[in-house]
This record gives sequence, C-alpha cells and structure tokens, in this order.
Amino acid sequence: MGLLPFRREGYLAKPSASISSAPTGRRSSLKNRTVLFGLIAALFLFATGCFKDDMSTWEAFGPVAQSQLDLFNVTMWLMVVVFFLVEGVLLYAIIRYRKRPGQPRPPQTHGNTTLEIVLTIIPTILVMGLGIWSVFVLFEIDKPPSDGPTPLEVNVTGHQWWFEFEYPDAGNGKKIITANELRIPVDRPIQLNLFSDDVIHSFWVPKLAGKLDMVPTHNNKMWFQADSDKIDEDLPVTLFGQCAELCGIAHALMRFRVIVMEQADFDSWVAGYGPPPTITDKAKKGAQVFAANCTLCHTIDGPDDPALSASRLAGFLTGGDITPVPAPNLTDLRTRQTLAAGLMELSETTLSNWLHDPEDIKPGNYMSARAVLYQSGSVSLDEEEIDALIGYLLDLR
Amino acid sequence: MAAITGVLARPTSYAGIWGWMTTVDHKRIAVLYGVTAVIFLLIGGVEAGFLRMQLASADNDFMGPARFNQLFTMHATTMIFMVIMPLSVSFFNFVVPLAIGARDVAFPRLNALSYWIFLFGALIMHMSFLVGQVPDAGWFSYANLTEKPFSIDRGLDYWAIGLLVMGAASVAGALNFVVTIINMRAPGMSMMRMPVFVWMTLITSILLVLAFPVITVGLIELTMDRNFGTHFFIPAEGGDPILWQHLFWVFGHPEVYILILPAMGIVSEIFPVFSGKPLFGYPFIVFSGIVIGIMGWAVWSHHMFTVGLGPVANSVFTITTMLIAVPTGVKIFNWIGTLWRGAIEFTTAMMFALGFIALFIIGGLSGISHAISPSDFQQQDTYYIVAHIHYVLFGGSIFGAFAGLYYWYPKLTGKMLDETLGKLNFWLMFIGMNLTFFPMHFLGLNGMPRRIYTYTAEFGWENLNRLASLGYIVLFFAFLVFIYNLWQTRNSRRVSHDPWDALGLEWSIASPPPAYNFAEIPQVEGLDQYWIMKERARAAGTPLTEPEALVDPSSIHMPSPSYWPIFTAVGVALIGGGLLSHYAISFLGGAIAMIGVIGWGNEPAAAPSEHH
Repeated sequence: MGLLPFRREGYLAKPSASISSAPTGRRSSLKNRTVLFGLIAALFLFATGCFKDDMSTWEAFGPVAQSQLDLFNVTMWLMVVVFFLVEGVLLYAIIRYRKRPGQPRPPQTHGNTTLEIVLTIIPTILVMGLGIWSVFVLFEIDKPPSDGPTPLEVNVTGHQWWFEFEYPDAGNGKKIITANELRIPVDRPIQLNLFSDDVIHSFWVPKLAGKLDMVPTHNNKMWFQADSDKIDEDLPVTLFGQCAELCGIAHALMRFRVIVMEQADFDSWVAGYGPPPTITDKAKKGAQVFAANCTLCHTIDGPDDPALSASRLAGFLTGGDITPVPAPNLTDLRTRQTLAAGLMELSETTLSNWLHDPEDIKPGNYMSARAVLYQSGSVSLDEEEIDALIGYLLDLR
Repeated sequence: MAAITGVLARPTSYAGIWGWMTTVDHKRIAVLYGVTAVIFLLIGGVEAGFLRMQLASADNDFMGPARFNQLFTMHATTMIFMVIMPLSVSFFNFVVPLAIGARDVAFPRLNALSYWIFLFGALIMHMSFLVGQVPDAGWFSYANLTEKPFSIDRGLDYWAIGLLVMGAASVAGALNFVVTIINMRAPGMSMMRMPVFVWMTLITSILLVLAFPVITVGLIELTMDRNFGTHFFIPAEGGDPILWQHLFWVFGHPEVYILILPAMGIVSEIFPVFSGKPLFGYPFIVFSGIVIGIMGWAVWSHHMFTVGLGPVANSVFTITTMLIAVPTGVKIFNWIGTLWRGAIEFTTAMMFALGFIALFIIGGLSGISHAISPSDFQQQDTYYIVAHIHYVLFGGSIFGAFAGLYYWYPKLTGKMLDETLGKLNFWLMFIGMNLTFFPMHFLGLNGMPRRIYTYTAEFGWENLNRLASLGYIVLFFAFLVFIYNLWQTRNSRRVSHDPWDALGLEWSIASPPPAYNFAEIPQVEGLDQYWIMKERARAAGTPLTEPEALVDPSSIHMPSPSYWPIFTAVGVALIGGGLLSHYAISFLGGAIAMIGVIGWGNEPAAAPSEHH
C-alpha cells in the first residue's frame, strides 16, 4: 500500500550547519572533559545527522524557525554543560565517598548556608537570563516586520483530517481555495489565519516555524517566511507539515506540504487556477460521473461557494449517513503533488487505489463513511467510470 | 433508620478475606494500595508494550488507529492515576503514622473508604474494555474531541466517571493525611523535626485537596455536555474548548508535583541512611518543597504555549516556569551534599535513589528547554515531550517508589528483598529506561509528533523507534525480576527490626510492626530521632539491639474493623456505574451510600468483645 511520502527531486537533506557551528566545549583545558564533550557532540551528530529528515527541527528555512532554533541551541548546549557538571559531581561523590570496610561513621554535617545561597543564586541568574531572552524572541516572532514586503494572507482551516488553504487575494484580486498543499512565494512573509471547523488541530511546518493550534471559534494568527538564502536547492522546494494535536482517528495521517516557489512561478500558478477542461469524450464522461457522485461535498470549479460550505459543515456536525461533509476543493487537482492529505504521491495509480478503497488507505475518513457510492462496502462505480473520473480530475487528454 | 443500622455489630475477625475487606489498619490499607498499584503497573506496562510493538517499524499494521488511541489513553491514565498515585498513597499509609509516632491515621475508617472508592473507580474505568468502548482522547482528553459528534461511544464517559470516583477517594485520603500530620505527631515532634517524607506527604496532600476540585468541575461539565445537553466546551453552541484546557492544567500541573514530591520525600529518607550522615540542608529541602507546592499553581499554561494565548501570557508562564526550576535544583544540590564526604553503601534502595537523581536531572534539564516557549513551539506535542515526562515520571516517581519499596519492605514484612536480584532489577531498569526514552529526545527534535499510530520510513524515525522498543523489552524483564523478588521472599529468613541502621522512628519498633505500632508513644528530641536514641544508648554502653518490646494488644485500644467503609464505597461506585448504564442504579447507589453513612455514624465504637 503506497503510504510513502516522497522527496521532490533536488530536495536533499543538508548536513546540519547549526549543530557543527554550535559551541562544543573545546575550549576546556581538561583533556577528559574534551573527550566527554566530543562524545556527546558525536552522539548529537549521529542522532541528528544520520536520521535527518524533512520534519526535522534542526534546520531552519526562515526567520521564525531560525530564532526558535537559535534559542534552543544555546539552551541545549548550556543544559549539556550543566548535565555534565551535575552528573559529574554526582558520579564523583558516588565513587569517592563509597564506604570502605571498617570505615567509621563520617563527620555529621548538617548543611552550609553560604553554599545554599550561592547555589540558589547561580541557577536563578541562568534561568532568568534564558527566560528574559525568550520573552524578547516571543515578541520578535509574533508579527512580521512592519518594514518588510506586504505579507500574503492565507486562511487555513483544519478539518478532520485535512487542511484547507484559502487565499483571499492571491494576486490581482483572485481568490483561491485549495487543500493540503500551501504554495507560497519565497522571501515574502505569509500571514496565516488559523481556523478549525470541528476539533482542535495544530499547524506545524518545522522548517518554517513552530506549531500553533487551530481552535474552533479562536482565530489564531501566525506568520512565517521562507528565505531564499537559507534554502540551498533550486526552487520550488517542498516542505513537510503535519497536524500536531490529537484530532481523532486519522490524526497520524493528517499531513500537508508547503511548496516554496519563485514569485513568478507562484503568479503563473495563480493565473492557471480553474476548473479542468472537458474537451475529450472521456473527460466529458468523467465530468458527468463527478457531477453525479462527488459534488455534494467536493467543488472543482474554483473557490467553494460560502453558502454551500456552510451547509456541508452543518451536515457534518449533524452526523448520520449520506450527509454532506466539508471536503477538499479539487480545483486544479492536476497541479498537486500529493493525495489524501499529503499521504502519497498523486498519480493515476494512487488516485485509482484511493477511489477504489479509501478506507484501506486512510482509516476513518469521511468519504468512505458518508459518500453514497461507498455505502455498499465497495465503490459502486465500474472501472470505466473510475477511469473517466481520473482522466477528468487529472486533466488527462 | 438509626436503630436498624446501629445493630450491625463491628466485625471481630482480622483474618481471611473479610479481615482485609473490613480492615481499618493503615498498614494493611497500605498493602492493599500497593498490591493494586503493582497490578495496574503490569496492565499499564503491557499497554505500553503494544504501543511500542506498533511503533517498532514504519508503516506497521500490527494495530489500527482506533486501538492505538485507546491504548495510549489508557496507558497514561492508568500509570498516573492507578499506579503512581496509589503507590504514593501506599507509602503515605505505611510510613507516615510510623514516622510520626502515631498508632494510626486520624480517621481510620475514612482511610479504608478512600481505598475502596479508589479501587471501584479504577474498575469502572477498566470496565470500558469489557464493553469495548474505551476512552481514546488521550489522558488530557482535550475538548471538543471529547464531545458529540466527534466522540460517539461511551468511552469518554467511562473515563470521566472513573476519574470522578477516584477523585473523591483522593480528596478523602489527602484530607486524612493533612489532619493526621498536623494533629497526631508524637510529643516533641515539631514541624521542623518532621522527617522530609512526612513533609512531602503534607505538601502533596494539600495539593491534592486543592487540585482535585478543579478537575472535578471540569469532569462534571464534560459529563453534562455528553449526557445532559449542556455545552460548556462545544464551540458551535457558544462553549469554549480552551476552558477545558485551563481547568485540566490548573489541576494537571499541581498533579505533576503530586506525582513527584512523594518520590522526593522517599529519596530524602534514604540518602542519609546509606551515606551515614544526616540530610544536608534539611530546612532548604523542606522549604524548596513548599515553594514548589506554591509555585506549581502559577505555571499551568506552559502546557498550552501553542494554544495561541499570545506573547504576553506566554511570557508570564515562561518566566514562572523557569523560576520553578530553582527550588528543584536546590533539592538536587542538597541530596548531593548529603552524599558528600559520606560513607555510601550501595544497597538496592540506595541505587534506585541515586538513579532517581541521575535521571531526574535529565528530565529537569529537558524541562527547561521547553519552559522556553519559543523553543517549545517546535517541541510541543512531539516525542521530545514524551521523553521528558518519562524521565520525570519513570526516572523520577517510579525509581523513587522502587527505592522506597526496597527500603521499607523489611519493615513491612520482616523479610528482606534479595539484594542480588534487587541490583539486577535496578540495572535492567536503569538501562532499559535510558534505552527506551533517551532516543525519544531525538525523535521529537527530528519532528515525530506524539500520538501518531504510524509513520513512514522516509521520515527517518525508524531506527530510534526500534531502539526504544528494544528498551521496552529490557524494562519488561526488569519488572519480572521485581515480581520474582517479591515472590521469593516467602521463604526468606526474618531480619532484624533495623537492618539498615536507619534514623526514623519506624525502625525503633518490631518488623512487621504490631497492630498498635508503638506500645508507648515516643518522646521526640530532634530530627532523626532513632539515631539520637541509638547514639545515646551506645554512649551509655548499652547499645540498642532490640525493638520496642511487644505488649498484650488488648491492653491498647485500637479502632475495630468496620463493614461501613466498603459498604459506603459500593454505594458511591454504583452512583457512577448508574450514570454509565441505567440511572435507576445511581439512585440505588445513592441510597446505599446514604445508609452507609448513617450506619457509619451509628456504629458502636468497639467490637462486641471489647465491651467491658
């Protein structure tokens, strides 16, 4: 079963620059301490370098993730130093003061007030320093810089179990609604308004920013930006995202992609956004199959009509079989890279597998639960109809 | 009514199953709590095993998402509410009256009631497995995933009702210990002469009394939302799911200290004994415990940094959370200070206590990295957090509890757990624990979210997950060694009343202690009273080698066993059970509980044989 995500060509994991440039305690003059730090550094490189992947937080492609990573790196190395210091003292005490045979009872000391005060003040200074720095970072990453380019606004809605992206104005006043793939222009701040229609989800693209929850009735706002000078590969580059808050049965399968593009490529994608053509007979037949079976939930000819969206949501919240539910907008499906909320590469084969048995690929999904054509337990379309539908959706001629 | 219920004579038998069901003896109740907790440890451990088996390889289809969500929910709920908390209460019960020189707790029947209500609450929650409708929204059960139409079976009702019932037990038990510790200390034992474990029990009990009402409110609101059409947490009806998170974490963060402070108390008893010198900085350890107990109320939103509370709230909770690291650090310095220039004996109890410090340091340090909210935005809801909680709860609370078990077992039974097996137990647990949970730090930083039942090989998480699953196997063997060690003591020889040359009052009496504990209530002259007594006897040339002499038990009036605690607990359990099945049963349960309370109030003060 093809649940594999895939890497875009040209997008290869880089060795972690931030780790190798971080302080490793080599200044220490003690030889054995150098060895210890070397060992821990090697361990970190092993665990972060060898198992590097696209969800990794060790690498930042934008200013928000970079501020968070810098803060974490300093904290982590500070904690590594404290770790060796305290565990070292503990280990020293355990070895040095182990009981020898016939040893009398040791001196009965009860405490040392000066030492207590010193050992209270030092950690207080340490944690307060880090705490105050974090407060500065918090406010710094809260909003995009006011002197930069105008942010591109995107409304993101979390659904069980997929992401909807709405661009109120993607360029020249054109409104776009798409699903599970967020296309963004490079070097431009993206202002994200996070919503949810059902339960709490969390929006997370590790390479661009930490996560923020998508809470029903709460309009959370975050921003990020992909910097061209932080990305070594040629654009477009595909980044991974995943829902990070338990949101029900298919939570693990609620993934998405962020595609970072040159502004010009982004503009041409915006311009091309529209319903698939029906010039061939096969596509015409596919359009009929789609109209007869899919339109209760899916829109394919541009942004969803708000009234229709509202009635789908009402149907979803009411529950019951064969009620409409909010579903991914399929306009421009041919330009997408993935299927079923970022689960697998979109191709004729994977789309065919999905249409045949969505429950097998994504347990709990609402299409197999609610759509009329799956009520018998298997899909009630014949192979020819499925073939025509795929041709229509993927704009095959 | 009074006439009817008053005629039920107090039970006289201390033997057999009825003896256990009607007991009000704090030592026997400690055993009940302990045995129950160990059984649930096995259940929760097996649940963890299934989770690790599923995650051991990428794209695994060992189990589906529905079962996976149920198992991680029940694993965490079981380990927190049915393992660590009752283990702590077991130690409170056994140790506190002995350590303060008392003959029992302040309210022995209330103590029994607490145990039975706790047990029935735990059973109610596990009944969900029998009906196949298991809680599946995580141990925090964030609304509105817990509301209709997203949660349609009764699983979450079992969860909420089970916790409500267990919560009643916790509050009753905690009140009992607050009253016991404040009122029943032996003459001369001022607050600052109390053993640290008793201090930590007092702080934990106060936290319990204050924290549980908050979760109770949340749970009642959730139950009403789900069953009676209210909408506290339903956004479509004007409710707010974030309200649940605040209620849960205002309880949940003090709860974290409820779980760890008893373990800190246990190791504070053990370090002096096996270092041969008194606790270093006793007042600092006590006051840092109090400070943790107070500051624990001001940090709850650090569980909610990614909820979108805004930079002002996040700043406040970042600073308060950073500050709470300080009193924790103070404790660690003082424990190391106790070891310093001591004569350290490596008994199993001591090794677990040392393991506690070593592992708790790691949990504390990773805690600092997500107290820093900007870096927590990346770590929240990843395996980095899973690593952290297991270093503090497994490396901390469970290692502390095992230290306590090995330490007090000879007092409880008069027999010693095997030290060789104990050390094997320790090393397997120490190695298994690090093998299981250390890789999770990297999994989290490499982007693996929590609570996902599957992942793909492309993400590069498979090797570290294998390592973690391997570690689980080691942990499982450690647990088997422990069970075997308990089992094999049935043939062990008896040991002296004071095998460790310990310092607390509990070691001055026979092992196992007689029902009345102290024939004569001791006069306390200072901290570490038994060391003071032994030192004086040694100086006088008549070393203390024998425990306090036993006396005729009938010469000391002890509370008689009672039917009413378990009777009343059945009523309380039926109230909860009725909410899950048929409301008529709730009314029946209410009537039974009412009769129980009246019978309780009218019970004769002593067994018939004792009417002189």
